[in-house]
Amino acid sequence: MAGRRIALKAIDWVAFAERVPPNQRSMFNALKTRSDAIAAKLASLPESPTTIDWSHYRAAVARAGMVDEFEKKFKALQIPQPVDTQTSAITAQEAESNKSASAYIEGSTARIAQYEQQLDKFKNMIPFDQMTVDDLNDTFPETKLDKVKHPYWPHKPIAEL
Amino acid sequence: MLSRVVLVSAFLNHALSLSLVQASRSLHTTSQSLAPVPSLPEKGGKVRHGIFPEEIFQLLYPKTGVTGPYMLGTGLLLYMLSKEIYVINHETIAALSIGTVIVYGVKKFGPDVAAFADKLNQDKVAKAQEVKDLAMTSLSQAIEEEKKEQWRAEGRSLLFDAKKNNVAMLLETNYRERLHMVTHEVKRRLDYQVALQDLNRRMEQEHMVNWVEKSVVGSITPQQEKESIAKCISDLKALAKSTQAMA
Repeated sequence: MAGRRIALKAIDWVAFAERVPPNQRSMFNALKTRSDAIAAKLASLPESPTTIDWSHYRAAVARAGMVDEFEKKFKALQIPQPVDTQTSAITAQEAESNKSASAYIEGSTARIAQYEQQLDKFKNMIPFDQMTVDDLNDTFPETKLDKVKHPYWPHKPIAEL
Repeated sequence: MLSRVVLVSAFLNHALSLSLVQASRSLHTTSQSLAPVPSLPEKGGKVRHGIFPEEIFQLLYPKTGVTGPYMLGTGLLLYMLSKEIYVINHETIAALSIGTVIVYGVKKFGPDVAAFADKLNQDKVAKAQEVKDLAMTSLSQAIEEEKKEQWRAEGRSLLFDAKKNNVAMLLETNYRERLHMVTHEVKRRLDYQVALQDLNRRMEQEHMVNWVEKSVVGSITPQQEKESIAKCISDLKALAKSTQAMA
C-alpha cells in the first residue's frame, strides 16, 4: 500500500508574483504561505508507511492464528482515496475568470484604440502658432463660441471669462 | 462692391484687435481649391520713413534710380505749397508739434509695448502647448498601463494551477496520513499483545519464585534448625583452631 504519484504542476512563483497587481499583493502572499505550508506538510510525510515485520510477531505472539489473521486482514485492506470535492469548483471558477478576463481585455483594447485615436489627433495637429480661430474650433470643439445662445460679445457667460 | 470693401475693412479692423489673426475663408465665393490657406506674414509690409511703402521705391527704381521717389516727394510738396493747395496756418504748427511728440513716443515706448503684447500672446500659446503635451503624455501612459493590465490578466492560469496543486497536495497528504494511521494502529495492537504476554510470563515467574522460597523457608523444621546451628558452631570452632594454629 504505497502512496500514489500525483501530477503536480511546477509553479513559477517568481513569474506569478510579477503579474500580481499591487492591490492584490496581500492575497497573493496569503496564497503563497498557505501553499508553502501544504507542500512542507506533504514533504514531511514519507510516501509509504513502515512495513510490519510479520515473522517477528508470528514468533513473539503466543496466540495461534492471531498474527496470521491480522496479516491477512491487513493485506486485504484497501484505504479509500480521499474524495476530490474542490477541483470541479476550481474549474468552474477558472472558466468564469476566463470569461471575465476576455471581456476585460476586449474593453481594454477598445480603450487603447480610443487613446491611440486621440493621440494621433494630437500628433497630427498643426502647431498653435499657425492655427486660426476656425482651426482651433475644428480641433477642439469645446472652444467654439456659441453665437446663437449668447448673441452678444463675449459669447459666453461672464463667469467663464 | 463698395459694401464688400466696407465689410473687408471693418473685418480687418476687428481682426487686428484679436490676439489670433483671423484669415477665414468666409469671403471665398467660389468653392475651388481646398489647399491650405497660406499662413499670414509675421510682420506688415516694409515701409520707409514709417509711412511710405517700399513698393513705390521698387516701382520707380528702374526708371528713376534711387533718388527718384525723393525727388517726386519734394516736387509734390513744393507744388502743394506754392500753388497754395496746402495752406500753412496755425493747424500746421499744431500738427507738426503733435506729430513730433507722437513719433518720439512711439519710437521710445513702441518696442516695449509690442513686447508686452507679444508676451500675452505667447503665454496663451504656451499654455495651450502645455495642455497638449500633458494630454499626449497622459494618453501614452494610459496606453502603457492598459497593455500592462492585459499582460497581468494573462497570468490568471497560474492562480488556478496553484489552487489545483494545493487541492492535490492536500488529498495526497490526507491519504498518506490514513496509511500511516492504519499501520500504526495495527502495530500498536500487536505490540500490546506481545507486551501482555511478556507481562504474564514475568508475573508467573515471580510468583513461582516467591512460592518456592516461602515453601522452602516453611519446610525448615525446628529439629533441622538445631542441627544446622550445631553444625555451624562446630565448623566455626574448627576454623578458629586452624586460624589459631596458623597465627
